[in-house]
Amino acid sequence: MNKRAGIGFYLFLILFVFLVMFPFIWVFLTSIKPPSEIFSTFRWFTTNPSLDSYEAALTNRPLLRYMLNSFVVSGITTVLSLAFASLTAYAVTRLPIRGKGLILGIVLASSMFPQIAIISPMFNLVTDLGLRNSYLGLVIPYITISLPLAIWILSTFFQKIPFELEESAKLDGATPFQTFRKIIFPLAAPGVFTTGILVFIAAWNEYLFALTINSDDMWRTVPVGISMFQSEFSVPWGDISAATVIVTIPIVLIVLLFQRRIVSGLTSGSVKE
Amino acid sequence: MSEKQLGYAMVLPSLILVFIVVLWPVTQSFWNSLFDYRLNDPARSQLMMSANIDLERYVDNHFYIDRQLDNLVSTAESEEAKETILEIKHGVESYHATLISDEEIKGKVEKVDELLMNFTPIKDSELKYTKVDNDFAADYRGALESYQQSLTAISESIDDEASSQKFLQSADLLGATGKTILKSNFIGFANYGKYFKDQRMWKSIGNTTFFTVISVALELVLGLAIALLINRTFSGRGIIRASVLIPWAIPTAVAAMMWGFLYDGQSGIVGHYLEAWNIIPNASWLLSTSQGSMFSIIFADVWKTTPYMSLLLLAGLQTIPQSLYEASDVDGANKIQQFWSITLPLLKSSILVALLFRTLDAFRVFDLIYVLTGGGPANATESISVYAYKTLFAQQNFGEGSVLSVIVFLCVAIISFIYVKFIGSDLFAGRTK
Repeated sequence: MNKRAGIGFYLFLILFVFLVMFPFIWVFLTSIKPPSEIFSTFRWFTTNPSLDSYEAALTNRPLLRYMLNSFVVSGITTVLSLAFASLTAYAVTRLPIRGKGLILGIVLASSMFPQIAIISPMFNLVTDLGLRNSYLGLVIPYITISLPLAIWILSTFFQKIPFELEESAKLDGATPFQTFRKIIFPLAAPGVFTTGILVFIAAWNEYLFALTINSDDMWRTVPVGISMFQSEFSVPWGDISAATVIVTIPIVLIVLLFQRRIVSGLTSGSVKE
Repeated sequence: MSEKQLGYAMVLPSLILVFIVVLWPVTQSFWNSLFDYRLNDPARSQLMMSANIDLERYVDNHFYIDRQLDNLVSTAESEEAKETILEIKHGVESYHATLISDEEIKGKVEKVDELLMNFTPIKDSELKYTKVDNDFAADYRGALESYQQSLTAISESIDDEASSQKFLQSADLLGATGKTILKSNFIGFANYGKYFKDQRMWKSIGNTTFFTVISVALELVLGLAIALLINRTFSGRGIIRASVLIPWAIPTAVAAMMWGFLYDGQSGIVGHYLEAWNIIPNASWLLSTSQGSMFSIIFADVWKTTPYMSLLLLAGLQTIPQSLYEASDVDGANKIQQFWSITLPLLKSSILVALLFRTLDAFRVFDLIYVLTGGGPANATESISVYAYKTLFAQQNFGEGSVLSVIVFLCVAIISFIYVKFIGSDLFAGRTK
């Protein structure tokens, strides 16, 4: 497309970005207000900014512990599902096996299954294994979400790697596994990395399993921890705003650093090329 | 190993995992839904196809029966009462003898007895529960219940407070022992019948459908409009891309908390401005009325997912060859004609794939509603997943909750079936040859 962008277009863009970012802007502005101002006025900017809310958010609840929990659980989930998914995606896209359509069909269907239909047997399983309130207790159910997602995205990336390279490696006498490790994997590494980011974000954001399985405050993940900030009688909006800002920072960093990759990963499954 | 064998070996681990964490639980949910299965009721906390005895509690109670009855005989004054007690004693003895005439049960009873002596709680459900014949269980249970009644009757006829208490105590013991003999809780499709007539279930399906249709439609229209507008070269693409990705990337629960603050009746900025501009009657309308809260969750969902939708559609737009537009320019087509006869048909598969994933996500909506409104006010925004969650974990009713989750599953299956029919083989394009 080579339409020229005029001044009206840029005005539209500014409005668009402002509307999309408005909740973040407002929450940030609230988080630096002194707590007494939050409930009394709707002024946008405070005249005496304070970090009281941040201090309260970090001391009233184990917010950093939530972030550590989320980080460990999402990290383990990502590594495990990438390991399994890259083998499967490689076999499905590049090796002469039968039933590829069936395998991908099962994978796609699994990713469509509602988590609410999985939660109660999974809850019983994790309880029987004695894994409630532990990292592993969340990693097992998270595979439900992450493995189909990883296989689905990785197979698009693997499909794009030229087949000629594989052919010539084979002619030189490489075994299929050597081909996978020495030729395909380095070429596929960017795709694997992209998939890893998407899987990590998906695991970081998961709510239902984390809510039911890790019910002890020390084992809560970020989404559950934040949602438990409000109590029955009072809502500490200052604390909540500050906590929201703190937990959003890692996500914003990931997005800013890897935005191109994320977009390519998100759109890879939906567009024919 | 040949390439083919290696291929199967590489696929196998994932398939096994998918089976364990996805297919098995869904099947198990369906199976659970056929039982009257409640975690918080000891008589129904297991799936029992036939009658069972909770040996841990049975052995514990049985241990005291003999002694208490002997004790009662000495307290009893009338001959009649003495006779009844002895009769009960014989009855319990003979039923118990029949029970442990089975070698396997006898072994279990001894083991449980030993563990109880050491005050060890029994965790192994194989040991804790033992299957018994349905008729025997019904007889034994019935007998214990009638013993309880006759002892209660005696206790009521006695004037002396202390001995009356003793009879009552033994009666309760016999009753409690009866309760350790559990009936089968297999009830087939009875739970489904119940929900078929349940107003709240239909309401929650209605809410979910309304939410799904409205929010996905809005997201599609807005997403397409944004994609068409930004499908051109301009500086500052990075900022747009980042601002589009951040709402998508933050956890839904966190987004729901933020919107909860913006919508708040007292200190929420959105309510404040909408009230000041006379768009809504008052600031608390947003979360305290049924229309208001439905509007609020749809608005929050549109905010969070429209950017993602426009990203998918933009990628689709960029694959349409520019030459098509140039050719139609030569033929004198205007922009609107171009949109309907070039853009839309060529974008069809991108739109359908994006719609498929968005519709399924929206139909399964849980975190947004659970955190923002909790399903309220008065269940006006309760989605079927939220209802299922409350039944499963707040009421601890795994039987009925599983019915609801199976209903969600079936709805999702129907929706995806319809979409896949429309999309056809395009879904797999670019992955298999």
